[in-house]
Amino acid sequence: MTDMALPSRDRARLRRMAASNAGLLVVLSLLVLMLLIGAVVSDRFRTFGNVANVFEQSTGLALVSLGQTLAVLTGGIDLAVGSLISLIICLTAGLLDGDGTYMIPVLAGMLALGAAIGLVNGLGVVYLRIHPLIVTLGMGAVLQGVTLLYALGPVGSVPDGFDALAYGTFGPLPAAAVVTVLLYVATALLLRSSRFGRYIYAVGDDGNAAKLIGLPRTQVILFVYAFSGFFAAVTAIYLVARFGSGQPYAGANYTLASITPVVVGGTMLSGGRGGVMGTLFGAYLVSLLNNLLNFLDVSTYVQLMFQGLIIILAVSLYVEKRKSIA
Amino acid sequence: MTSAIPTQGASGKTRDRDSLVRFASRNGIYLFLVALFAVCGAISPAFLRLDNLGNLLSQFAPLAIVVIGQSFVILVRGLDLSVASVMATAAVAATSFSGRDQDAVPVLALGLVIGAATGLLNGFLVTKRQVSPFLATLATMIVLQGVRFAWTHGAPSGSVPPIFRTLGAGSVDGIPYNIFALLAVAAVAIVLLHKATFGRQVYITGGNPLTARLVGIPSDRVTIICYVISGVLAAFAGLILSGFVGVVDNWVGKGFELNSIVAAVIGGVALSGGRGTLPGALAGAAILVTVFNAVLLFGLPVQFQIIIQGLVIIVATAFYARQSA
Repeated sequence: MTDMALPSRDRARLRRMAASNAGLLVVLSLLVLMLLIGAVVSDRFRTFGNVANVFEQSTGLALVSLGQTLAVLTGGIDLAVGSLISLIICLTAGLLDGDGTYMIPVLAGMLALGAAIGLVNGLGVVYLRIHPLIVTLGMGAVLQGVTLLYALGPVGSVPDGFDALAYGTFGPLPAAAVVTVLLYVATALLLRSSRFGRYIYAVGDDGNAAKLIGLPRTQVILFVYAFSGFFAAVTAIYLVARFGSGQPYAGANYTLASITPVVVGGTMLSGGRGGVMGTLFGAYLVSLLNNLLNFLDVSTYVQLMFQGLIIILAVSLYVEKRKSIA
Repeated sequence: MTSAIPTQGASGKTRDRDSLVRFASRNGIYLFLVALFAVCGAISPAFLRLDNLGNLLSQFAPLAIVVIGQSFVILVRGLDLSVASVMATAAVAATSFSGRDQDAVPVLALGLVIGAATGLLNGFLVTKRQVSPFLATLATMIVLQGVRFAWTHGAPSGSVPPIFRTLGAGSVDGIPYNIFALLAVAAVAIVLLHKATFGRQVYITGGNPLTARLVGIPSDRVTIICYVISGVLAAFAGLILSGFVGVVDNWVGKGFELNSIVAAVIGGVALSGGRGTLPGALAGAAILVTVFNAVLLFGLPVQFQIIIQGLVIIVATAFYARQSA
């Protein structure tokens, strides 16, 4: 409504520019603010070791949120990721069971399984014409049930040296975190520069219009859910390398947790606006917040509360255009 | 069409069949519930035993109360993920002050105020700040969770006033008391939604926001009221459920946020807003509770409960998606 009342085109353009980068600006200023607070309140906080620690601890969340961002960009959402992570953690640990002989085929199979389950989600969204929220919620329940049929408690173990996937380093930097950054940069380039990347935004902005002007809406939707499933599998493999064994609820928290970095990073749940780099900084923000609250001796309960407040703060700063329920 | 004009008789028969099909598709949910009962009874005679039916009813009541609130919110194109958190928070906070019967009214009031306040915040975020309902209610869910754990340090210590215990778990002639609580709530809600002006405003707000604005319906206010209804009913259900369980823990109502959405959707309340009825949603809740009960009764591992829950939600929504297309 207020847009129409704007008198000059320049102001509209300025507004648009600010709006399209608002996510990055907000999340970056929050990051800087939090670093400053941390540096003031604690000596140990500003050590290189601690910052590297925050960087490393963001990895799991950052990986799963990368896939989530693409689903959200199309106006969808993937609520199956948590259960999918649990399933793949259990299957990987169970199938390997301490033996590294078949490591490569097992890992390849797990990545393919993640992508395939994501693809099924996409098929449900496109062909059953059900809201993504419902499809992935249902899929999440089915996967959690299957995981519990496979293992009711801790299961399997990983072979020696497998933990290098999680704890390996490039010089002073945690390798997995560095690889995660590279994956984000590659995805950002794909979104920005490739034709298919632009299609993702077009479908998220207005799916019907995108279809009417001949964009491959179906392929875009199938791709983003397969992408999200694939990265849930990557997250699971990273986590099983960290934990050393499988747990049937190990991924449960990641379903909702994966949405926080996305929305804090400025990607709108209504689709079509945002980007992956905001999500990466969003994941750092969550990791940093938890680290800082730990230094301040704040209980984990209150940490939870802060996460909710950060979501409310971030989303009330951007006003979404109202379109769908999610 | 034009070349073959059907005879009187044939057209009559098609009309009969048409109306039968229409009847079946319009009342499919109730027919399905009856069929489900018949099948469960046929497979396991224990299912239709009075004590099991009473058990079923007492599990049905708290979910159904939450589903009523959830339906109001979904009808205005919303979604309330905070209901389970409201249930637990209301129960934990209210019962930590007093476990005595003479304080039952303030305990109830405190619980309901927590629910109303949460609904108000949800409604405010959704209408005035235009936050998506999913996120707004997710955030209040997380905040309430944090508040609750910080308040109780992870171990709530209150006790439930005996009168809630009676309301939640007691029964007369095998009919649980909490069903009467549900009936009272349902009667008011059905009149409000299906007979009163407010109900029509809810349907127009959810069905076509533009029309709502053009005919001067205060959509924001209607939406906020729907969230408040959901919050208050969730708090009420939380108190009843803690009476049913007998002790208050931090996770009273766990799983209710998803189950209430699933039940409403099975019952034909469309997530796109403006379509569906409360009796339908209640039938959806009954189906869900029956399926859960049957899974255990048939001796299937409890994991199947989760799998079936997932499949039911997908199949039911796909069914309605086809119907509306």
